[in-house]
Amino acid sequence: MIEHPAILIDTTLCTGCERCVAACKQVNELGHDRPWRGQQAVDSLSATRYCTILRRPGRRYVRQQCRHCLEPACVSACLVGAMQKTPEGPVIYDPHKCMGCRYCLVACPYGIPRYDWDRAVPYVRKCTLCYARLKPGEAPACVESCPEKAALFGPRDAMLAEAHRRLEAGRGKYLKHVDGEHEVGGSSVLYLSDVPLDFLAWQPNLDDRPLPQRTWASLAKVPPIIVGVAGLMTGLHWIIGRRMKAALESAAQASPSPAGNDDAPAPSPGDEEHHA
Amino acid sequence: MLDRLSLLKTILWALVGVLAAVSVVRFAFGLGAVTNLSDAAPWGLWVALDVMAGVALAAGGFVVAAAVYVFHLEQYRPFVRAAILTALLGYAAVAAGLLYDLGLPWHIWHPMIYWQHHSVLFEVALCVMFYLTVLALEFAPAVLEHPCFARPAFQTIARGLRQATLPLVVAGIVLSTLHQSSLGSLFLITPYRLHALWYSPILYVLFFVSAVALGLATLIAESLLSSFFYRHKAPLRLLSGLGLGAAVVLALYALLRLGDLAWRGQLGACFDGSWLSRMFLFEMALSTLIPMALLCVPRVRSSLAGLALCAGLIVAGMVLYRVDVCLVAFARPEGSGYFPTWMEIAVSLGLLAACVLVFLFLVERLRVYDDPHVRGAPQPSYDPATLHNLLPDELAAPRRYSLAALLGGCLAVVFLPLGAPQPVATAALPARAAAGIAENRQGEPGQTLAFAVPDRPLPADAQPASLLVIDGNRDGQMVLFNHGAHIGRMGRHESCALCHHLSLPLDRNTSCFECHRDVYGPTPLFRHESHVKALGGNAGCRQCHADDSLPKTYETSTACDQCHRLQVASAALVPAPAARWHPAPGYVDAMHGLCVNCHEKSAREAPEHYSPLLSRCDHCHDPDRAEQRQPLAPSRP
Repeated sequence: MIEHPAILIDTTLCTGCERCVAACKQVNELGHDRPWRGQQAVDSLSATRYCTILRRPGRRYVRQQCRHCLEPACVSACLVGAMQKTPEGPVIYDPHKCMGCRYCLVACPYGIPRYDWDRAVPYVRKCTLCYARLKPGEAPACVESCPEKAALFGPRDAMLAEAHRRLEAGRGKYLKHVDGEHEVGGSSVLYLSDVPLDFLAWQPNLDDRPLPQRTWASLAKVPPIIVGVAGLMTGLHWIIGRRMKAALESAAQASPSPAGNDDAPAPSPGDEEHHA
Repeated sequence: MLDRLSLLKTILWALVGVLAAVSVVRFAFGLGAVTNLSDAAPWGLWVALDVMAGVALAAGGFVVAAAVYVFHLEQYRPFVRAAILTALLGYAAVAAGLLYDLGLPWHIWHPMIYWQHHSVLFEVALCVMFYLTVLALEFAPAVLEHPCFARPAFQTIARGLRQATLPLVVAGIVLSTLHQSSLGSLFLITPYRLHALWYSPILYVLFFVSAVALGLATLIAESLLSSFFYRHKAPLRLLSGLGLGAAVVLALYALLRLGDLAWRGQLGACFDGSWLSRMFLFEMALSTLIPMALLCVPRVRSSLAGLALCAGLIVAGMVLYRVDVCLVAFARPEGSGYFPTWMEIAVSLGLLAACVLVFLFLVERLRVYDDPHVRGAPQPSYDPATLHNLLPDELAAPRRYSLAALLGGCLAVVFLPLGAPQPVATAALPARAAAGIAENRQGEPGQTLAFAVPDRPLPADAQPASLLVIDGNRDGQMVLFNHGAHIGRMGRHESCALCHHLSLPLDRNTSCFECHRDVYGPTPLFRHESHVKALGGNAGCRQCHADDSLPKTYETSTACDQCHRLQVASAALVPAPAARWHPAPGYVDAMHGLCVNCHEKSAREAPEHYSPLLSRCDHCHDPDRAEQRQPLAPSRP
């Protein structure tokens, strides 16, 4: 199995014949479509359709599928590790671990994962880059079925090199940008196109910063917070307790009658300075 | 006459009854059966309200515990037990809500063994789990005070727990700090979906600070409600202290929220007039600005009505903040909105009702509030003078509550969808090939097929035929479809694309109605002359205008379908095997699958009659114009 496999899709070659969709459905045994509410069209990505062809104005056809990010948001989001980035590269899903929290659906910047909403025992559904087929050395079904060679499959470095070669060779034919090279840390499904592919993500112009880094910024603070808050709280308890005791004692010395009652406000720190 | 407490409990039991009924459908048929969730809205009301807001509403527990045990603000000690119990029940409700919301609730224990420490949700799950335990231990001494735990062994445990109070409180504060803020961190990973007015790199700070304010407001509201229902005096001075604390926290929250917006240069977006900007302003006013301003006025702060209003505003506003982050300001594809079903709302309400019932059950039996009114003082069971029974009917209340729950459940059953959810009907219904009996009518090539009902004797020249029956308008009405006649009438092969316009699997081909605008009603498209001709001139008038006494209008004439019996009576059909039902093929499939293949075959078998041209790609796809991606160039000679 090749290291870091990637798919390069040249949208200018795609004719929208949807053989990739048919092959994907067959290989993954997805059966008939079960369109669910919220679905944009019958042929949108769904629990029964891991890849689809988006039709854009001017007879442009763009295949939509899981991008197999290099630093996937869904994998970092999954609390039980059901979404996994395999050492080879594809992002796969382990239904035996999944709890069904659907945080992966929330987290994906491309809005890819789908859910079995109509099932009593539902699972997350998405492209696995045909992980099982890659092991014996085959290409993903969608790539293999493409009659126009609009999709290429190979190591990511080679695919990037080919993409840049085409950008150089077909000067002016493409937008000078390989979609997926750097976005959110880079992905394993790369696009060459002559039209902007903004519509593949939730927002145009994705940042290069991988999404997991954003949550890690807060998660990394957990150990200091545990130590800090626990120490601070214990310390405050001790200091305030000691000062209150000292204040009560000195008050008792000053006037023998019992001072204050339960409802008296705690002595302010300013007062305590004198007694301490 | 019911007192207000019994009335409250009756209503709560009814809500629990509804919850029970909805639960059956939820767990039998899955999320899709009871929710409006979809791939566009994977998190809905249950996450926003039961989990996000539920956790925040329970924040009073750790705030008061910190105030009393760490900061030694002893005057708030009377609140501790109620606050801890509220938090305990709140978190129990969160866990229960999760059981409803998780797709695979029987895997809820998985975070304990499958650790994934890069996930914020993992941290939240662990913290909530530990905190629930801590809360249970913190509250246990109150339970162990009850006479039924009088045995020394229990008392030893209670003593041990009491000694461990401080570590427990500190652990509770640490865990709360962590997961209250982490609920905000959950959305750090969605910078492209959450609207800029809500997405912030300090979301976790905002969630934590707002949770503290919300916890204080919940305590005030809870105290006021219990004083209302149990008819005792609210500790107004303490509550106004809590109110002042809430005002300070709100000020800090406003400073952070608005300061963050200014820092990110998004302040202008608050006033851009969009729907979301107005939502933001509404949320800020409701949750922060108005209650903060009101609480700063001593007269408002020390009046029952003022405190109730402020607490209500803060609770509503901060819950709205969570709903906004989770649902309202969270991007979805155009046109795929989310609004919860009544069943989702019923589950949220039912869980809340169950919590309140447990709360009431416990405060009436344990020393939660330091107020004998709440714990029903023992009453004499009979009048010693007359020996009349003074106790009310002991079974009256349980009977009433059971009835309420039962009625609630039955009412829910009436409206529940009992059955597995069906895929939403955006798919074209399949065309169906049916074996029928053809009857040849002379002279009308367009109308050659008619059905013979099986029990009717067949005409002599009737032949069995394969008929195509389609549901072209996708309204569930199958009609006989004459494909050949359509090709002939619409312009031979150029006309394929008129109906098979794009190549989409499950394509919604042009519906019958697009051309036959008259199928559903009176129409100017009716061609009178051609009918006159077809029916034999003047002799045929009566076939449509049967009654001479009536004016000859559309309404008084024989209906179209009396003659054009296209609607297929299903009894007359022997449907083809289901394998032959399929959606009409899309354009590319129609061309490739039907024309090309057939021509290939014919050209092989009879090359003298059929040109092999059509089986060549470039016969249709013009290679010279490949860059334009014309799917079908004019055919070459």
